[in-house]
Amino acid sequence: MPKVKINDVEVDVPAGTNMIEAAALAGVEIPHYCYHPNLSIAGNCRMCLVDIVGGRAPEIACNMVAREGLAIRTDTPNVKKMRQSVMEFLLVNHPLDCPICDQSGECRLQDYYMEHGNYDSRGIEEKVSKHKRQDIGDKIVLDAERCVQCSRCVRFGDEVTETGDLRLMNRGDHTEIGMFPGERLEHHYQGNLADICPVGALTNKDFRFQRRVWYLRETASVCNGCATGCNIQVCHQEGEVFRYLPRRNDAVNKSWMCDHGRDLVPGIAGLNRILRSKVDGQAVDVEAALSSLAARLKAAKTVGVVLGNRATNEGNWALLQAVRKNLPNAKVYAVAGNDPGSVEFADKLLIDADKNPNSAGVRLLAGVDGRVGDAADLGSALGSIDLLLVLQDDVLGRLAGHGKPAAVAFLGVSKNATSEAANILIPVCHTVEMDGSYVNRTGRVQRLRRAVTAAGDALPAWLVLERLGAKLGAAPGTGMVATAFNAMAKVVPAMKGMEFKALGDAGLPLAVEPAAVAATEALA
Amino acid sequence: MSSHSTPIPPSRGPVEWSASDAVKVADIMSRYPTKQAAVMPLLWLAQDQWEWIDLDVMRLVARTIDCPPSQVHAVASFYTMFKKAPTGKYLIQVCQTLSCALVGAEKIMAHLEKRLEIDDHGNSRDGLFTLLRVECLASCGSAPMMQVNDHFYERLTTETCDQIIAGLRSGKPLALPRPEVDEWTFRVS
Amino acid sequence: MDFPRILSGNWDKPNSHTLAVARSCGTYSRVEMALKKAPSELIQIVKDSGLRGRGGAGFPTGMKWSFVPGPEKRGNKPVYLLCNADESEPGTFKDRYCMWKDPHLMIEGMIIAAHAIGCKVGYVYIRGEFRYIYDRLWEAVHEARAAGLLGENILGTGVDFQLHIHLGAGAYICGEETALISSLEGEKGQPKLKPPFPAVEGAWHCPTIVNNVETLAAVPWIIQNGAAAYKALGTEKSPGTKLFSCSGHIRKPGVYEIPLGYPMKDLLEIECGGLLPGRKLKAVIPGGSSVPVMTPEEVYKCTMDYESISTVAGSYLGSGGFIVMDDTTDLVDALTNLLRFYAHESCGQCTPCREGCGWMYHILCRVRDNCATAEDLVTLKDLADNIHSKTICFFGASAAMPVQSFLLKFKGEFLARIEAASKGIPAGSSVTSPEQRVGA
Repeated sequence: MPKVKINDVEVDVPAGTNMIEAAALAGVEIPHYCYHPNLSIAGNCRMCLVDIVGGRAPEIACNMVAREGLAIRTDTPNVKKMRQSVMEFLLVNHPLDCPICDQSGECRLQDYYMEHGNYDSRGIEEKVSKHKRQDIGDKIVLDAERCVQCSRCVRFGDEVTETGDLRLMNRGDHTEIGMFPGERLEHHYQGNLADICPVGALTNKDFRFQRRVWYLRETASVCNGCATGCNIQVCHQEGEVFRYLPRRNDAVNKSWMCDHGRDLVPGIAGLNRILRSKVDGQAVDVEAALSSLAARLKAAKTVGVVLGNRATNEGNWALLQAVRKNLPNAKVYAVAGNDPGSVEFADKLLIDADKNPNSAGVRLLAGVDGRVGDAADLGSALGSIDLLLVLQDDVLGRLAGHGKPAAVAFLGVSKNATSEAANILIPVCHTVEMDGSYVNRTGRVQRLRRAVTAAGDALPAWLVLERLGAKLGAAPGTGMVATAFNAMAKVVPAMKGMEFKALGDAGLPLAVEPAAVAATEALA
Repeated sequence: MSSHSTPIPPSRGPVEWSASDAVKVADIMSRYPTKQAAVMPLLWLAQDQWEWIDLDVMRLVARTIDCPPSQVHAVASFYTMFKKAPTGKYLIQVCQTLSCALVGAEKIMAHLEKRLEIDDHGNSRDGLFTLLRVECLASCGSAPMMQVNDHFYERLTTETCDQIIAGLRSGKPLALPRPEVDEWTFRVS
Repeated sequence: MDFPRILSGNWDKPNSHTLAVARSCGTYSRVEMALKKAPSELIQIVKDSGLRGRGGAGFPTGMKWSFVPGPEKRGNKPVYLLCNADESEPGTFKDRYCMWKDPHLMIEGMIIAAHAIGCKVGYVYIRGEFRYIYDRLWEAVHEARAAGLLGENILGTGVDFQLHIHLGAGAYICGEETALISSLEGEKGQPKLKPPFPAVEGAWHCPTIVNNVETLAAVPWIIQNGAAAYKALGTEKSPGTKLFSCSGHIRKPGVYEIPLGYPMKDLLEIECGGLLPGRKLKAVIPGGSSVPVMTPEEVYKCTMDYESISTVAGSYLGSGGFIVMDDTTDLVDALTNLLRFYAHESCGQCTPCREGCGWMYHILCRVRDNCATAEDLVTLKDLADNIHSKTICFFGASAAMPVQSFLLKFKGEFLARIEAASKGIPAGSSVTSPEQRVGA
């Protein structure tokens, strides 16, 4: 742990830390464009030039590795002037189009200009013109004039997607970012290009001109698109979600997420949402629907209950609690597999073949329960079930071709084959509408946070199921998600010692290896 | 220089190395520890073969060295000597940097522009010549100078320019490196 | 004047570029001698000789070689020797003659250097415009290979050295050693961040030494005659001889090999034959276009060595590109010409140089065209200061130093343009006549 000094603050940093990160640990921000913690060092923007105490010339902090006794200063007149001049150089050929640029509000040129800029512009020369508004991929529009040639996108293509598609062409002040003429971005991570672009050169087609970013609020959550569980920021305003941004978590998704995940945003408030409770086709309130459900569950001879790979741990836990204590004859199942209509694609980077966000959580609870049947069991039993209670997964879609249960109750987010067949339908919250937790494919327990109010009459599934449990005869729940999680963690060995609060932004790994998580599936 | 100002010329269709070039390609590739290092020699080979580098030539080079075509495009666009558009049979490059400028490069340039009837795109009226200003060609002691294709013509006067142009027009082969190249000091009379 | 000609001694001989003539002049006679010595001994001799890099930076060659990690540290990684033959500093044309007239001397130097640093494969990176020399170098390599001087088991000593020639394609920046490496690797010729330094991690992430043509050509003589003999030439801190490329307003432009420490005045008046009749000296750029300009007073005080030029004129010996400008020269034009060069050649990688060179050029165009204000001169100076030493490589300083020095030493010429502009005098009317104008 070398000890370094930034301005007057001494700080111990891990060996190998660069001085931008070291300064951050000391509470000092060193401005930068080209540096990105998950990409190689390019050192080309020169915004992070700092003075070295006892050094001859200024050096860039991004390429400076912390060594014992290294002391830098970021608060000298020289550093101030260097930052000001780099800003001036970057702007001399940059179009003055902030009012129509969708990067406004999250543009590093704007941000740093306010802090470090030279307010009396000397740039009166004609600007170099470059290609504007290029459609270079399904998700991305490129305006080469706005580019500051930081090469982040080039390095992303070389180092992350390994597609090598974007390049800086030409040289000197005619250097221009671009694709090989006629080619388009062909990978599934295009949105990240807009995220890492520090300026308005690469913008996201789906988001641009939808909302000025300063109106948006961000809530840290987890993507529900697949088993990877990429950490995200849900960006929303007045109950409407406008985009997902990846949130850095080096244990899960570094700073990236796939386009499929981003494509889920329109579904949040989409026409396919289940908004009202229904019993036999009649709209009722949730309370009435739950009463009917409880009555029919008690009356039915053979009850099947299906855990939700798309539901939270708390939802599945509440379901197991409700059933195991009050319906001793009910048979519980977990049906692996993807809902019909899922994007069947996987890669080695982030996109998992399992499109459920919480399969590992279901396997974990099933393993603890010890009596949970699988898809094959349910498939063969389906025709003989009087009432099938399904949590979120499109189980009937997954098991299409098997027999039909006499009646179906579905607690779901969106319409599907199961909801179509449901006699009792109860809307539950989308991932972004509730707190809770998922377990991702590597066995990391990660926290969801409520970003927006629920659509229609939807309530969090765990809350609905606590109420159902009460109607079936269990003691009423506390109505607190943290209590539900903590109760579950006390029983589940792999969650030993975990508390909901402690999951934090980065999540916590289960106490067992992922392989062991997978093994519990066999037990179930 | 900017790809913005020079639109990409139409493609001449896909290309492949000839059998004899394939031998050269293999020889070039054997010189370097990585395939990518062969990009410049292969672009030179391709330029000798097809006169200028179009997108299909870039694709061929990219396939040959197993890299994205964008990489070849970036390299080709960075170096001024890779031609991204056709030129006349004789590409005349007049050095305009300081040492040449001190002893009359502008006069030579103006003379050639007039004599060859050069248009806005640098091409002569008869299409035989393309005239370019270039930066220092390391011929400062024998300035002013111009390069015609691969050949240096040095210590130019308007008279020697006329002789050279007349020779090229009459189909005289390009001079081998002239005696001037064999001298390294030059007495000004 | 007659001086020992270590580098250019064979240039007078007919067909000096052929192996037969080269051998008759003693070229390759030092190979066997060198290959029998231990690499560390060779490095020590070159260190003791005080030979400094002739490409421009003047870094001690022996010391550079000694930075290559030994076999125990570098493991299985090969070591590369690259000969920098990208000669493109305006005003410099010596390497062109070294390679054209005596390619075997350079190859001999490379064989010896390769042995010293433990290198088995080397490349000569030659600028694209020297294509006719590129062909000649390959001929020389083939001749040397056939004679057992290159390839495996050179002269039965058990030492291997393969040499390839790599042709550039028009980019000044490739003369910068890390840009040269990038270019050789098949990238755009853009400099790399240091650290790591090439001697530790260069071409293909392997230890790499980049030496200028002239530097390598001096090595055989040093090995043959010893470090002391080399030190006996030149000055204490700048030993040996150096090739000076002399151009501009002089009677005898050309390449001259003289011992370092030679008076600049004598170089100008004797070797270069002096100025044209009736002309007066106005300015000299002593070491290629990138170094600060010198006034006549400084020229007459200086000697041609690293230290004197630095202490007397705050300039550099650089590559030895000696550009002379007489009193017909319009220095505003001259500087504008140079900045056009730098704006054209900036690789575009890092911000200050990419954006600043073009900006300085545009301002200078306005100064030249009598369209600038006094504030523009302030901005120009400020931009140069903001580029110098803020960039990845030395190019930024190379573009900034001419601006800084011209403005410092010849400010009057620039102020005259500002005054002309304020009076509405069009360019080329009274301040400067068209025939005086330099550049476009």
